[in-house]
Amino acid sequence: MSSLNKLARLNFLAVCGLLWAGGPALAQTPANPSREGVPTLSGYMELHLNKEQAQPTATDLHRFVLMIGHSFSDRLKFWSEVEVEHALVEGGEESGEVAVEQAYIDLMVHRRLNLRAGMVLVPVGIQNERHEPPTFNGVERTFVDTVIVPTTWRDTGAGVFGELGGGLSYRAYVLPGLDATGFSADEGIKGGRQQGARADASEPAIAGRLEFRRGGLTSGASFWRGGSGFGLTRLTIETPGVGVGSLDARYRRGRHELRGQWSMVTIDGAGDLNRALQQQSGINPNVASRLLGAYAEAATRVSPNAWTHEVVVFGRYEKFDTQNRMPDGYLPLAEFQRSAVVVGATYYPDPDVAFKFDVVRARNKSGVVRAPWQINAGIGWWF
Amino acid sequence: MWCVPATAAERSDLKVHQSPNRAPVKIVKVTAERFAFSPSEIVVEKGTVIEFHLTSEDTDHGFRIIGTPVDVAIPKRRRGVTVVTYTAVEAGRFIIECSRPCGAGHTAMRATLIVK
Ligand SMILES: [Cu+2]
Repeated sequence: MSSLNKLARLNFLAVCGLLWAGGPALAQTPANPSREGVPTLSGYMELHLNKEQAQPTATDLHRFVLMIGHSFSDRLKFWSEVEVEHALVEGGEESGEVAVEQAYIDLMVHRRLNLRAGMVLVPVGIQNERHEPPTFNGVERTFVDTVIVPTTWRDTGAGVFGELGGGLSYRAYVLPGLDATGFSADEGIKGGRQQGARADASEPAIAGRLEFRRGGLTSGASFWRGGSGFGLTRLTIETPGVGVGSLDARYRRGRHELRGQWSMVTIDGAGDLNRALQQQSGINPNVASRLLGAYAEAATRVSPNAWTHEVVVFGRYEKFDTQNRMPDGYLPLAEFQRSAVVVGATYYPDPDVAFKFDVVRARNKSGVVRAPWQINAGIGWWF
Repeated sequence: MWCVPATAAERSDLKVHQSPNRAPVKIVKVTAERFAFSPSEIVVEKGTVIEFHLTSEDTDHGFRIIGTPVDVAIPKRRRGVTVVTYTAVEAGRFIIECSRPCGAGHTAMRATLIVK
């Protein structure tokens, strides 16, 4: 008898013994003893190979993430996520980064109202909170979740979350705002994330998400609204207010899945910001007053039901325009009015291991700057 | 009273049964997916024998009814069903939590069992 079988036999005898001994009026499997009080370790990794038109082929251990969790009690939980991006971090050189992406405490008070504080993920869109690589198709995250919603978007904050019944749940946090000196024409507010690093909290923000789940449908409406300071830079203009709104849905039925997202960013006072930053650095950042992005994706499992391995093919269309509306006196750059078609396949030898391949045909409105095509391959796994 | 042994290889179809009695048996199918159980609220009458049929749409999850000894693993997508039986002898609200780390929203992955 193998040692596993011996162990199972012992478990079996123990459970029967419990029932004979007049134990609780319940039958339970011995498969998963409580982990209460024992810290847990999990994580995910993403290894990518990217070939972009007119660029050398690159390989990259894009993300190596470890997650540590701990239950102090049934009501008090800790969760954290520490990430190494691009494998290598060296002082004073442009290479990877080590970042704490999450580190928060949950105090479970009531089903409808619980408290959370620490480093949290901003609850906007699909991928910011659900970015484990086997959960999405495509080697890289969507363009919309890169230049419109700047994933992974996180900051220190505090807030509430809970379930409202009928499949509705919510999260809402107060967080520090953004640093407007990092805004750009091509990536919007991405460079303005403070990421919990001695963040300027004098311009706070609120963010929230209302989510509805029923059957195979999950849909969400999210927002972020707040100010944006200037970090260590001194500018004599009003601090710009920023708003982010996003709607998303995922629907799964049998072997098919549809998902889509619409996201918009508005930046108040973008004209003043452009003028002030240009005065200081000599370069006009050409920050827009509105950014807009949306995508729709269809995926289907093409492998037979009899296989435990799975092959999924998908296609996605994205539009992402980081110059959708410009402040008075500024012209949109056509190269940032972009779209992309992404088609590819994912092979899952295990539901937690994804071998990915895709081809990206990007386009823009510019007659001069051509958007490059890309071929990507990658492996992502969760444990 | 009878028990069905569960070996590691059979983990995806665990069955350990309560002795047959006259209490109503209710089969409740629960799907786990990062980071929610569906349904997230289960209501039964006191005395009901609940047979939970647990499946996952993605990774491994756990199914723990706080305050009871029920704490089982749910196998990954298309890797089987965990069947666990619980007799609702006590009225009240019981919190069900995911007892296996499953990602960024794991700590809030909960459901409620209401025994009337
Ligand atoms: Cu879970």
